[in-house]
Amino acid sequence: MANITKVLIANRGEIACRILRSLGQLNIPSVMVYHPVDADSPAVGMAAEAVKIDGPTPVAAYLDVEQIIGACKQTGADAIHPGFGFLAENAKFARRLGEERIAFIGPLPETIKLMGNKVAARTFCIENDFPLAPSVAEADAGKDFAEHAREIGLPLLIKAAAGGGGKGMHIVRDIKDLTQSIQLAKGEALRAFGSDEVYAERYVEQSRHIEVQVLADHHGNVLHLGERECSIQRRFQKIIEESPAPGLPPRLRERLCATAVVITQKAGYRNAGTVEFILTPDGEFYFLEMNTRLQVEHPVTEMVTGLDLVELQIRVARGETLPLKQEQVKIEGHAIELRLYAEDPENDFLPATGPLLVYRMPAGKAVRVENGFAEGMTVSSAFDPMLAKLIVYGSNRGQAIERGLSALKDTLVLGVTTNADYLARILSHPAYGCGQVHTGFIPQHAKDLRSPPLGEEERNLLLAAAALSNRGFIDPAFQVPEPYRFLGNWRN
Amino acid sequence: MRRRIDLLDEHYAVTVLGQPGEQYLQVADGETQPVVFNVGADCHGSIQLGDQRADIQMATKGETAYIRAFERTFTLRIVDPVEQAAQEAGGSTNTARAPMPGTVVEVEVAVGEAVSKGQPMITIESMKILMVITATRDGEVSHVHFAPGDTFDKNADLVTLKEKKEEE
Repeated sequence: MANITKVLIANRGEIACRILRSLGQLNIPSVMVYHPVDADSPAVGMAAEAVKIDGPTPVAAYLDVEQIIGACKQTGADAIHPGFGFLAENAKFARRLGEERIAFIGPLPETIKLMGNKVAARTFCIENDFPLAPSVAEADAGKDFAEHAREIGLPLLIKAAAGGGGKGMHIVRDIKDLTQSIQLAKGEALRAFGSDEVYAERYVEQSRHIEVQVLADHHGNVLHLGERECSIQRRFQKIIEESPAPGLPPRLRERLCATAVVITQKAGYRNAGTVEFILTPDGEFYFLEMNTRLQVEHPVTEMVTGLDLVELQIRVARGETLPLKQEQVKIEGHAIELRLYAEDPENDFLPATGPLLVYRMPAGKAVRVENGFAEGMTVSSAFDPMLAKLIVYGSNRGQAIERGLSALKDTLVLGVTTNADYLARILSHPAYGCGQVHTGFIPQHAKDLRSPPLGEEERNLLLAAAALSNRGFIDPAFQVPEPYRFLGNWRN
Repeated sequence: MRRRIDLLDEHYAVTVLGQPGEQYLQVADGETQPVVFNVGADCHGSIQLGDQRADIQMATKGETAYIRAFERTFTLRIVDPVEQAAQEAGGSTNTARAPMPGTVVEVEVAVGEAVSKGQPMITIESMKILMVITATRDGEVSHVHFAPGDTFDKNADLVTLKEKKEEE
């Protein structure tokens, strides 16, 4: 098994910082690769060494396997942590690293390949009798795909076979939208994943998205670390996750976790992974997909188990036996993750860009902040618009919600539109408070979640503040007093 | 001094009178009220207008002010008189603008082509999200501002329409 002496992080942003922290604790030297747009990012500053990579676009640089392998050779890194996104679920990359005798901190290439193609994963589940929602693959149906999809019945979800992260997904509620949705999904899939293969699956209204964190070593041991509730989503992407899942009957939780462990074993899985399920309002569950990497929302599991998943990933990659048994995994308290996005909830959650004029994150014992940005940086459209994650812990769910609200209050981002206030409105919503969550939560409560209306007096106060902070507005003949000069000159 | 300030897609004419230390403010043709504004280097401060007062957190860049207050965060734009004149002269419903910054994936129309309301004109992408921009009315394409692969900022003009040629 691999002897890991230096780890290169093939990623950026908050997850790179997160991995660097664990490497620091394990006293393993670290290397970052970075595109010039990230030169001033916290991750590059934190790493012991950093190697510049280039590409036609910033994203292309982080996907450039040969440059990344070159950076390993240049620095003597003998292992790569891929984080999530970019090359994390690229079987060819994992295989290439094997040929170069560089350890890939993740599962085996064949497992990545199996689970990476959702149609192959679906076939694997059918062969093993794992529960699946009614679905049809374009690869099986060919020209008659739309016809077969129609037969499953509405509503339908069109998904990319090579998909993930909610990209290339379209819901069809009206049969006349089917053809256009398939075309849009294929276009997005091709651009995001390099394959336009799609499949259609029955969409269960009011269902919950619950996933199980699993961990497997190279000696046949498989553990689960409990579940995460991830139903609060917009555009099929999670924005709030928590552990444990509220109101889940203990028997059902056991069955979900046990199923996840069996799937992990059958797949010959190694390292940390996540088995995602759809839980219907009737208490039935279906396999959704397996994510062969660390998840964005892994910190909630760490908060309630007290474990460091990145450390465990590295230990497994080194060939160590898992240091604990299932009965030693204890879930205590409640953790909630709030994803801070540069996006406009008032405008269909469209990504926002701009300068981070003011960027302040909350602090405190019960708050963990995973952040990859700093004041003065610019949020561009080059990457995913997630800025940071705020993870709060409480002895119970109510306390975690309270702490989440207080963390959001202490978060201040000016210069780029974010969803911070929107997240606070979700946490304050009575339906969220009593755990009535499902994947349609955001559309269902859209009205309640809108910004409070702006009264005339409030509006005039805002206009007054904007006017008086603006130098050009006040007669230029006047002496400009100190505070205005400060405000007007920001980062000119 | 009177300027236009844009907030939440509305335009307001705002007048500031007096000098620092003793200032008055009027919104549109409303009452002229004394105003006191104070924001420190930590971005925290307050604004008082007449008998109304609010604590705010605020930063500015150029002609844009970012204010957090009333459990929301606002962007206010002080419109330059030159820009205002240009906007008023232009007329804007003829032009489809970018709802987000991104890249042009596909252009579905050509200059001179007649389009009908709802017809796809251009497909754009931002952070892997595809969006089809459709015609907001019937007309004729007078200008396509970008080619596939081009990048643009939010609110950039994408496709401009003119009135359809009269049927002969």
